[in-house]
Amino acid sequence: MAAVTFTTVTKEYKGDGPRAVDSLDLEIDDGEFMVLVGPSGCGKSTALRMIAGLEEVSAGELRIGDRVVNDVPPGDRDIAMVFQNYALYPHMTVRANIGFALEVAKVPKAEIKKRTEQAAEMLGLGEYLDRLPKALSGGQRQRVAMGRAIVRSPQVFLMDEPLSNLDAKLRVQMRSEIIRLQKQLGTTMVYVTHDQVEAMTMGHRVAVMRKGVLQQVAPPQELYQRPANLFVAAFIGSPAMNLIRGQLGGTADRPIVTFAQHSLAIDERAIERYPRIRERLGSNVILGTRPEHFAMDGDIDVPDDQKITLHIDLAEAMGAEVHLHATLDVPPVEVEGAQNDDEADDITQGATKVIARVEGVHVVDTGDQVTLAVKTHLAHFFDPATGDPLR
Amino acid sequence: MSVKRKGPKATAIRALTYVVLVMVALVVIFPFAVALTTSFKNNDDIFRYPPTLIPREAATIAADQVGAEGEALPLYTLPDAPGSFALIDPDVSVAEFRPLDDLDRVLTLDASAGERTGATVTIDGDEEDVFLIEADGGVIEAYRSRLTSGGLFQNVDDPADTELGLVNFAEPVEQFGARTENFSDVWTDKELGRSLSNTVLVTFAVVIGQIVTSILGGYAFARIDFKGRNGLFMLYLGSVMVPFVVLIIPLFQLMLQFGWLDNLSALIIPFAFTAYGTFLMRQFFVGIPKEIEEAALLDNASRSKILWRIMVPLARPAIATLATFGFLYAWNSFFWPLVIINSGNPEGRVLSLTLSTLGGRSSTDINLVFAGAVIAMTPPILVFLFAQRYFVENSASSGLK
Repeated sequence: MAAVTFTTVTKEYKGDGPRAVDSLDLEIDDGEFMVLVGPSGCGKSTALRMIAGLEEVSAGELRIGDRVVNDVPPGDRDIAMVFQNYALYPHMTVRANIGFALEVAKVPKAEIKKRTEQAAEMLGLGEYLDRLPKALSGGQRQRVAMGRAIVRSPQVFLMDEPLSNLDAKLRVQMRSEIIRLQKQLGTTMVYVTHDQVEAMTMGHRVAVMRKGVLQQVAPPQELYQRPANLFVAAFIGSPAMNLIRGQLGGTADRPIVTFAQHSLAIDERAIERYPRIRERLGSNVILGTRPEHFAMDGDIDVPDDQKITLHIDLAEAMGAEVHLHATLDVPPVEVEGAQNDDEADDITQGATKVIARVEGVHVVDTGDQVTLAVKTHLAHFFDPATGDPLR
Repeated sequence: MSVKRKGPKATAIRALTYVVLVMVALVVIFPFAVALTTSFKNNDDIFRYPPTLIPREAATIAADQVGAEGEALPLYTLPDAPGSFALIDPDVSVAEFRPLDDLDRVLTLDASAGERTGATVTIDGDEEDVFLIEADGGVIEAYRSRLTSGGLFQNVDDPADTELGLVNFAEPVEQFGARTENFSDVWTDKELGRSLSNTVLVTFAVVIGQIVTSILGGYAFARIDFKGRNGLFMLYLGSVMVPFVVLIIPLFQLMLQFGWLDNLSALIIPFAFTAYGTFLMRQFFVGIPKEIEEAALLDNASRSKILWRIMVPLARPAIATLATFGFLYAWNSFFWPLVIINSGNPEGRVLSLTLSTLGGRSSTDINLVFAGAVIAMTPPILVFLFAQRYFVENSASSGLK
């Protein structure tokens, strides 16, 4: 087991294209489960493949343990990787697939057999050892790919979107299995995904990347509560954080934020977290509220100046909660890469869409006027020019 | 994919389709059938008119079965007597007598038969002696129209029943008979065995050579990023477009330089490298997911291990296709061996050359020609039958799945 350290690691492809990975500084601790997440093309897979040695490092230094591995061939790095499409050897049985690395390493036959069976046992593959990959289901193939990684007891596991080819149910199951396995083995794990649910639930820490640049590295909960910038705020969370263009006003003692015809008083606790609000009175701001920062008026106790009345375009009853969709007549905040495609294509283009999550007991119909309490003490504030938080 | 239609109209269409298909199949099969059956015919049978498809031979009976000695005796049916007869003696002197009261009737008797009466009779202006002969249980008057050579026939079932007759007028009994000696004749007399072993050697070497070089070249073009790779590949591909006739003279010169004229090396070495095969293998390798190779790299497998343990087993369909094409090409090639191999050197001949010498303009051994042809075409047909899956697959998808 070993730590993995990126020191200003850069990856450039031939030609003058943008850098796939730009001066990445990242320390992955020994035994840590690190998730790399970001929209497609953000460089997360490239970073992973650099650890594997499948991509060359253009500049900077990459270490596994104490060893600089920039020029070490993949096979000598003592790492194992699970690919998105599993990359099993189709002509070999499960047993041969799992044992191939040991065979290459000229491990004695009896030892290969023992370790292969051990790994298969751990993954519940015992009865499939003599089958070919094509006779296995997606989940079983996934397990074989994991077995192939486990059997070598490598220093680092690398996983490149290993669950994205599985159906939703299996994905949840495999997710917990991978977590269990990592705990059991204690091996350093670097896990790449574009699925933020995976990122949030699996990682000890999550590294968010965008266009080759690392945005934030933090434990999942901190990432959610204290996004380092507008991109992380917009990217993490589903439904996404509501980002609303507004103006700061009021007085330093009692600042307010106004947008469209609405105005909200900002709770003191928010100002404690975002002290630069006071310096910015009178200037533009981006207000970030998560859907769960709303509540139906009366459900929680907030002052009247922290309430907002909205016309509901769509009410989605989810059972435990109701999602209320509304639009505000202010230009939307566009964060490239952070939103899903279906949200970008919305008919509400040119206006800001807001989603509020309220208790499921409320019956709200499309077209209703609803007054919502806003937990402004949890709200986030960003500089519209730079995307930095007003901390 | 197929949609089953029902109803009388659909049935009629399907029936018609099958009829047409069967007819086409018959037309295609016919030459093969002729070649095959002719290769079993004997010389007489080949020139029979009208020709038959099934090889036939004269029926015989063992000599001791009819109380004679020596070789097997041919069987005949006679125009006047029922039953089948063995020709015991093909050369006896016989006389033909014609009864005076029925001049159209011919009685064939031993040359010494008959008793001159001394009287004469005039037939068509010739004066003939009158004989007394035994016929129809009595004695009748006849004249002797001819003394000739005939055969002594004996009834197979009744040794007492012997007949004299002209062999020409007797109808030989025929039965199905395959002359397998055609094959041994052509094998030993025409040195087809030597040609076959040459062809097998050449074909085997060419196929193995093509597979090995195409795998190595195809893999390099597909996965190893070396300088000028794409340009070189284009050049390689371009060579497919050059017709072989253009290459004959330079290639001949080259073989002359190497001293390979009249040598099997000249049939093997230049054809062990194939741009087509390299292209085929490259296309297949390109289609194998890169991750499989990367996984092997991470498993610390060397390039050659990846190639032979991972890529080659995966490329089996493409290799089978390549082997099939290479086999057929090498097996059937005629013109280049004709140019390279001295016609006076039967030791160096390959099958196609030997076959061409069998069927010269003055050849009468057509059965041998066909026997040789059957020997020559059996292996390709077998290969095709076993490998047709790869054939069809390849024409449809260049071996990619």
